[in-house]
Amino acid sequence: MSDKIVKNSTSQALRVLLVGNPNTGKSTLFNTLTELNQKVGNFPGVTVDKKSGYLRINDKSVSVTDLPGAYSLSPNSEDEKITSKIVSETENNDVVIAVADATNLSRNLMLVTQLIDKNKTVVLALNMMDLLQKNNQEINIDELSSQLGIRVIPLNAYVGKGIEDLKQAIVSAQKPTKKFIESSEFGSLDDNLIRYKKINQLVDKCIIKKGEDKNSGLTKKIDNILTHKYYGYMIFLSLMFLIFQAIFSWSSYPMEIIENAFLQLGGWLSEVVPQGILSDLIVNGIVAGLSGVVVFVPQIAILFAFIIILEDTGYMARVSFLMDKILRQFGLNGKSIIPLLSSTACAVPAIMSARTINNTKERLITIMVSPLISCSARIPVYTLLIAIAIPKDKTFGMFNLQGLLMMGLYLIGFLAALFAAWIMKIIIKSNEKSTFILEMPIYRMPKWKSVGLNIFSKVKVFLVDAGKIIIAISIVLWGLSSYSPGNRIEKIEEKYSEAIKSQNGNQLLMNQNGEYMNEEELNAHIASEKLEASYAGIIGKTIEPLIQPLGFDWKIGISLVTSFAAREVFVGTMATLYSVGDSDNSTSVREKMIDAKNSKTGEKLYTFATTISLLLFYAFAMQCMATLAVVYRETKSFKWPVIQLVYMGALAYFSSLLAYQLLS
Amino acid sequence: MRTLDQLKQKECGTILSIVDNQLALQLISMGFVIGEKITVDRIAPLNDPIIISCGSNCVCIRKKEATLITVDDE
Repeated sequence: MSDKIVKNSTSQALRVLLVGNPNTGKSTLFNTLTELNQKVGNFPGVTVDKKSGYLRINDKSVSVTDLPGAYSLSPNSEDEKITSKIVSETENNDVVIAVADATNLSRNLMLVTQLIDKNKTVVLALNMMDLLQKNNQEINIDELSSQLGIRVIPLNAYVGKGIEDLKQAIVSAQKPTKKFIESSEFGSLDDNLIRYKKINQLVDKCIIKKGEDKNSGLTKKIDNILTHKYYGYMIFLSLMFLIFQAIFSWSSYPMEIIENAFLQLGGWLSEVVPQGILSDLIVNGIVAGLSGVVVFVPQIAILFAFIIILEDTGYMARVSFLMDKILRQFGLNGKSIIPLLSSTACAVPAIMSARTINNTKERLITIMVSPLISCSARIPVYTLLIAIAIPKDKTFGMFNLQGLLMMGLYLIGFLAALFAAWIMKIIIKSNEKSTFILEMPIYRMPKWKSVGLNIFSKVKVFLVDAGKIIIAISIVLWGLSSYSPGNRIEKIEEKYSEAIKSQNGNQLLMNQNGEYMNEEELNAHIASEKLEASYAGIIGKTIEPLIQPLGFDWKIGISLVTSFAAREVFVGTMATLYSVGDSDNSTSVREKMIDAKNSKTGEKLYTFATTISLLLFYAFAMQCMATLAVVYRETKSFKWPVIQLVYMGALAYFSSLLAYQLLS
Repeated sequence: MRTLDQLKQKECGTILSIVDNQLALQLISMGFVIGEKITVDRIAPLNDPIIISCGSNCVCIRKKEATLITVDDE
């Protein structure tokens, strides 16, 4: 009975699909229609983000799905494939809103008339009416509507004009009254030529031309500067510099707040939840894992803000134009610039944005090398290790040496990505033609509300996709570091609890200054000893012979194991290993690490050579489960994530080996 | 008759043919159609790719693709 009700209600619920050429303001319209009632999921069986949301029309709930931009129903890229597939699977009562740029009617009508000829319930949303007015042009809407046999709604998604009309048109939408052309072979070149000619006749009838295209004139003037052979690259590089400055300076404050909030949450939970395994799991497994994900939200949000603005204004297309020749030498594509730049925040959304690359080989190479670009999760590791390797106020000329090393690490990541791409270009065979066809949209001010909603949905994807994996792995790692074979850990606990009782308080162990340890120091010491006995400790000791040539000992081995899920876990593990009770106090972690001795030789462990070797390892190694999962999802095979894991691991191992052997 | 890659910056011509069927299909959906006037708006600083325009449509293509497009001199 209840099944039946559910079925009925879903079949009656109106489903709306947004279809249109790229750069027509489709996403802005989607954001205007649904506002915050949207979610990002996946289309079943395919890997493209499904942006869907809800809106209410006359007290009825209507679902809206934003399909990837497409120029026609004959697909040329992964994105277009999805759109044409979803459109072909629509049911009779589904409504397709074809979003078209009114200033470029004839091209936009190619897709619209294809939808009409497929007999879809189409409503034409004529966007950018304001720009049309600026050009002193006018479209005879009624004529257009009767010629096409569908409803036509003029609107300006930027100011929300015409939205109410569009909503009413959705609920009363009908099938097209007639076919646009009778074609023998849908989607063939002949079919499209006939279509094009008929569209031109129609547009001539419907456009009341008075003025000329002013917007593209302005665009050409801006392009003279932004794609200039010298200024073009200079402007791009300074923009990148500005963005990185902004990411690091603007995000530090919110990141601190988030870290503190999670510390307080952990503290509060450990008081509320009864002591024991459950409390330990929640505080040290789940909350710590969550904190590790959420703390990167400010950096990712700021980076995405810039990338979305650069894309929405039309600048990104120019960067692709400037960079294509250079990137092509490395088997990449001008469009690879977006994933490569996004990777500096997080490889997960970056890899997803590689979908616009039509050529499979170039897309694959982009996906494979993006994680070599230093992401924000490497920052805490870099910061800690750089502080160990180089004294704070050491300078080289006018530059701070620590800052230079940080920049060097970013640079080396970028160069490694290019190098790896070049190797893969040689190795991967492909018969597919490499094409690069990219529309150069006119420059336009972004709509800030839509930018905000886009950032929100991208961050959400990151939190969900990366978050669930990191939390799962955090729990596994928590298990590995809290349990031991047999009852070794319990024995350590017993040993100390008995000793504490018999020794009358805490006068049990000496600290480095030759004083008895206070309670906090003693607890930290016990934690460290437990970790050594745990499964994680055993793994660390097992791999020690393997990593010894890199200058690493078993403690670093443990960190390599625990930071497999996410690199930033390194800092926390170091804190535990070096018995820093207060794990968020990175100063003391640094001091302890500087003092640390090699357990075999008794010499200083974190020499310059070891630290640089470790830095290189973290720069290159694939220590991110979330990325591997998304690579699997995007390539639909286990082969590529496995190759990625192995090649990056090998690169990390051998460059660390080389660095350590040369420097020590 | 020349191929599109031989045109200099700001030069224009009429599209005579697009040799590759797939490319022709893709270009027609982006507003580049045989018989229409085409202009080379801009050549990238490193000499490749190029920005071409046809009416109010403006796209960037590589020279390799441009060799597949023949144009009539004006």
